[in-house]
Amino acid sequence: MTDWGDSLTIHKDRMSKRPPILQLKSLTKSFGTFNAVDGIDLDIAEGEFFTIVGPSGSGKTTLIRMLAGMEQASSGDIILSGTRINDMPANKRPTCMVFQSLALFPHRTVGENIEFPLKIKGVDPAKRRTRALALLDQLRLPQNYYGKSVLRCSGGERQRVALARALAFDPQILFFDEPLSAIDYKLRKTLEKELKDIHRETGKTFVYITHSLEEAMVMSDRIGVMRAGKLVQVGTPNEIYSAPRDKFVSEFMGDVNVIPVSMNGSRKVTADSFDKEFAVAAIPEAFSAGHLVIRPEFIRFVDKAKDADNVLEGKLYNEYALGSRIQYQVRVGENVFIVEKLRQQSSTLRRDQTVLIGWDAKDGILVTG
Amino acid sequence: MSERSRHALIWAWTLAVLVFIYLPAMCILLASLTSSRYFLFPIQKWGLDWWRKTFDSIEIHQLFKTSITIALCVTVIAVAIAFFGALAFARYNWKGRTLFQKIVLLPIFFPQSVLGLALLLWFNAIGLQMSWMTAVFAHLVWIIPVVTLVISIQVYSFDPALEEAAFDLGASRFQVFREVTLPVLLPGIVSGSLFAFLLSWGNFPLSLYTDGADTTIPEYLYAKMVAGYTPGVPVLGTVSTFGAALLLLGGYWLITLRRRAQS
Repeated sequence: MTDWGDSLTIHKDRMSKRPPILQLKSLTKSFGTFNAVDGIDLDIAEGEFFTIVGPSGSGKTTLIRMLAGMEQASSGDIILSGTRINDMPANKRPTCMVFQSLALFPHRTVGENIEFPLKIKGVDPAKRRTRALALLDQLRLPQNYYGKSVLRCSGGERQRVALARALAFDPQILFFDEPLSAIDYKLRKTLEKELKDIHRETGKTFVYITHSLEEAMVMSDRIGVMRAGKLVQVGTPNEIYSAPRDKFVSEFMGDVNVIPVSMNGSRKVTADSFDKEFAVAAIPEAFSAGHLVIRPEFIRFVDKAKDADNVLEGKLYNEYALGSRIQYQVRVGENVFIVEKLRQQSSTLRRDQTVLIGWDAKDGILVTG
Repeated sequence: MSERSRHALIWAWTLAVLVFIYLPAMCILLASLTSSRYFLFPIQKWGLDWWRKTFDSIEIHQLFKTSITIALCVTVIAVAIAFFGALAFARYNWKGRTLFQKIVLLPIFFPQSVLGLALLLWFNAIGLQMSWMTAVFAHLVWIIPVVTLVISIQVYSFDPALEEAAFDLGASRFQVFREVTLPVLLPGIVSGSLFAFLLSWGNFPLSLYTDGADTTIPEYLYAKMVAGYTPGVPVLGTVSTFGAALLLLGGYWLITLRRRAQS
């Protein structure tokens, strides 16, 4: 566990040393009186893998479409390598997008799809072919796929063709609009890793959007969490994980235990729903009321009340096997707790058994909102 | 009911419907294969005499020329207009689109005899000389909506991201159209062309009112039925029907071939 108390207030940004390739300044997109994207300020460093995460309707698709030039910004600036590109149409921008539907040309072969941007640029056929074959190689596709119809490619192969076509364009920035959302779990995990490897091999700047924070965690150098058109938090995966800024971000991370609390002294908070006080490591500045967030893996079963800083008595309601981990649902009065353990540490507990659960003060995260 | 008898029943029903649909066309073919002057069933003396006589007739050649000219003109103009109409119909979301869709499709359901009369009155009012050219215009009024609908079906399955992707990869608006929009929608355009050609080819009521002194094949068939029947009528009817069927099958065969070549 990192020291979240520090990173909550200070953004340690390991990318900030590199020069920004893309700068957004109070970027806004309005539809009537509704701001789909609402005053976003952001610097993306050259070579960075930056992921924007948000639920549907958070404005992330509108944002990336503005960056790619498919949507006109209402106000604010998009600055690419020092040049304002707001009014530059998509076909003049040195950026390229991989679409959610992939948008492979169905009437063309794999090779023709990859060569498309080169053909538009007027590269001669022999050179086009050489480049396309090299890209097939780089994307781990067999050479004989060159003449294959894209309609006969599998889901994973199409992903690779779409990426190869985008790379053939040789963009300064590659945008990704949830390209893996329609892919089954196992293949998605493989492709996430491949994409990260391609990012490393090419050294290009990747800007990726997804609704899955899990996906973002796997691939990104930095993550921006978006809600209602605004960036709620920007940070490394570790920062987002260990120091979520508010309840929204913490819940977006998946199963967490969230308890509404108010401040009570220097290292204590009161939880009305439990009629109890909980010990915390530190209370952030200006915090008066909010939520105490405890990740399921930081809650453990204990034998006696002294074994953890905070201990509650409850009943085991159910257990869920999640591959390498096991989750337990424990009911404490009206409240539900999720406790998670690694499979090899799993407890032999019966349903409806009375259990003691506990966590240490340092593992509770206080968030506002 | 057993699985087998259920199957037998489905087949029998399907066959009955097919016979009901196709038997009349077969009768035309049979009626053309007689050597006698009049229409008599069963046919007394079989022969191809009337086929030869029909194809030797200069009058018939002229009929074909007129019908084909009208159908070709209608096809070219209708497809050009309907293609862009279909994009407005199915590709773009714009204010008033649902109203546009209804207005465009409405003429399909106008009674054609009324539409023909209306066009005749209108051409007269503006002082146009009736000829095959006015018939082209009349056909277009009815056929453009049909072709718009046919092409729209293809446009509905068109992923707009294809155009955006091509544009994003550096293509100009024109290159996007030439390299992506047009080829991807080509099967729809072929279908639309076939519909345009064949609907114009077989149209009777609109031609009757609006082509003046020029005569199309359906008009001739009708006139000969009313007065002066010869087995040349079913010959012409057979050629007209089977020619249309062949064109249609050929067109779809081409589309299928293209699809096969792709995958």
